[in-house]
Amino acid sequence: MTTLLIAAAKAPVIDYKGISPLFAVAGGAVIVLMAALIRGRFAQRVLVPFLTVGALGAAIGLSIWNWHTGDSRPIVEGALAIDPLALGLSLLFYITGLATVAFAWRSRALRESGTGEFFGLMLGSIAGMTILGSAENLITLFVGIELLSIPLYVMCASDVRRETSLESGLKYLVIGSVGSATLLYGLALIYGATGHTGFAEINNAIGNSVNLTDPLLLTGIALAAAGLAFKASVAPFHAWTPDVYEGAPTPVTAFMAVATKTAAFAVILRFFLEALVSAQEQWAPALAALAVITIIVGNVGAIAQNSLKRMLAWSGVAQAGYMLAGVVVGTQLGLQATAFYLAMYLFMNLAAFGVVIARERVSEHGDGLKSLEGLGSASPLLAWPMTIAMLSLAGFPATAGFIGKFYLISAAVDGNWAWLGVMIVVGSMLSLVYYLRVIAVMWMTPLKIELPGRPRRARREVQPVAGWSPEADPRAQPEVLLVTLIMAAATIFFGIVPSPLFHLAHDVGTSISALFS
Amino acid sequence: MLKSYFPVVIFILLGAGVGTAFTLLNNVLGPRRPNPVKREPYECGLPSEVKRNFRFGISFYLIAMLFILFDIEVIFLYPVAIQLKALGTFALVETVVFIALLLVGFVFVWRRGALEWR
Amino acid sequence: MNVTWYLVLSAFIFAMGAAGVLTRRNPLVVLLCLELMLNAGNLALIAFSRMWGNADGQIFALVVMVVAACEVVVGLGIIVGIFRRRIPEDVDALSELRG
Repeated sequence: MTTLLIAAAKAPVIDYKGISPLFAVAGGAVIVLMAALIRGRFAQRVLVPFLTVGALGAAIGLSIWNWHTGDSRPIVEGALAIDPLALGLSLLFYITGLATVAFAWRSRALRESGTGEFFGLMLGSIAGMTILGSAENLITLFVGIELLSIPLYVMCASDVRRETSLESGLKYLVIGSVGSATLLYGLALIYGATGHTGFAEINNAIGNSVNLTDPLLLTGIALAAAGLAFKASVAPFHAWTPDVYEGAPTPVTAFMAVATKTAAFAVILRFFLEALVSAQEQWAPALAALAVITIIVGNVGAIAQNSLKRMLAWSGVAQAGYMLAGVVVGTQLGLQATAFYLAMYLFMNLAAFGVVIARERVSEHGDGLKSLEGLGSASPLLAWPMTIAMLSLAGFPATAGFIGKFYLISAAVDGNWAWLGVMIVVGSMLSLVYYLRVIAVMWMTPLKIELPGRPRRARREVQPVAGWSPEADPRAQPEVLLVTLIMAAATIFFGIVPSPLFHLAHDVGTSISALFS
Repeated sequence: MLKSYFPVVIFILLGAGVGTAFTLLNNVLGPRRPNPVKREPYECGLPSEVKRNFRFGISFYLIAMLFILFDIEVIFLYPVAIQLKALGTFALVETVVFIALLLVGFVFVWRRGALEWR
Repeated sequence: MNVTWYLVLSAFIFAMGAAGVLTRRNPLVVLLCLELMLNAGNLALIAFSRMWGNADGQIFALVVMVVAACEVVVGLGIIVGIFRRRIPEDVDALSELRG
């Protein structure tokens, strides 16, 4: 016993190169928080966003520096490890963070809550995601998921004078915490069944010292899966998604829709394919059922929505179903396809949210579908990205979404889950109803001249420039327009030339070598 | 065996003695100017009779929340404290970093005026 | 002492907390029930830690305690925010009557 304690008590081996992206983000959060104390317009408007962008840029650079193919390399003994899966998905988090800085820069939420607080929380949340992506241990998994969630609750409530924002924060907190508690109980039971917290040890124990049908283990897996489904908004644990997405400030919604979903899938991939892969025949049918329910519920729910944010929330639920299918397959190909789809999902969703943010600030309809009326002739610079995003989300050929879905379906067929592939196709066809409706509203309704400078919300959001006209409105917020255009261009580019991302996805697929290739 | 408890006995006696002495001396020497507010039992500065429409000030919540946060973080020091010899320098450095991070939080809260009573 | 009894107790507490979250309307009580759920997990972790004779579960429980405190503080903060918003006591709410 004493020898055991001393062996456990030695200082852990830390690979400081490998952990440097996490240090960049977490250190950035601390510095941003301190910079928030500096008074003055310059510090608030320029310095703090600049520091945030710097921290994220440094993290991107350090992640690329650490890139390697093959199996995972421990960075903190038994707690964190990096491999292409962790690095690739953290790149997605950092890119989303950069986009969120641009989206939030002129938002009211930022002014209400304070620039430093908002960006500090965002960096904290991204640090949680980074931990989550490289967790090797039940404890780090839980710490990561909470570090990701708790700042996000506050960010949802950051528009402190708007009651819907506060409500969405509280709602997200309550439901997110129920998810966390369920996850925790599941993790406790898994620990109880196997006696270990490390993913590798758990996987070794399952099937050897622990029976595959051990009730403790099965209950634990079920509860943990339910807890993670809450976070990834997988049906039937999705009910909070539309409400929270609608109430939260739109830049936060964009951040949640992309980064949080990616992080949730990062941990689902790691947890199921690394710690529980020996029990795959136990959990795969259950997750497959969840995937089908999610695809149907998400697509049906999106049809009747008039608010763009709610529509995108439901569509996000449906997309989670598609990605869950990639997890169910449980092969290297499935892992590759899911990671690839997550990258595509980032591009098309950020393009769509960019347009929603740009319109919401000037239109009297807020984020309603009506705010897009006549956009095709009024400002094509916004209408085209939205069109591309919608087509891509629906899975039209020559867009990124098509390649992503194709990849997922082929992985499903390859892993003998052909009927799940069929479900993805059916879901995509259903989704055309509401995606095409958005496109129709933009291009086929006549332009109504909005009175310049009059819209009620515009007064606080963006100061209308002199001689304001509908055509000029995207140019009043160049940073949002820029991000939107970049994301839309990436959606098209990777729809036509997907091979660079294929290579990356292939690297990611090699991260977990235990998987059946 | 019993000898090792001797300091404890002294400590108890000393504590009881000093406490009693101060209370008694206060009664004997202190000025007496009673008023109704002074006669009420002391409850952390709150009026003890709570009316139906009574509300706590926001400041109570703020301070209490900050207290919970800083109080609970100390829990991380506990495992280090009982195993410091076995853990060595690394744990010490880690603890210093941890406390420095807490200090950042404290400085932020303080400069933002969350500790001022409103 | 058999670990089963601890498990039964913790499952009971977890169920109680879950039921409370689902049925109660008062946000403060809901937060309380969330704490119950998290602490049920803690109890299970510590019981298992004892059963297996390793310290992992105890470390996990320490981490969970801190996380639970953070969650409650954020929850209380948002609730205070909502109450402040609803009660037209602050001066900002009285801005409609300006000339």
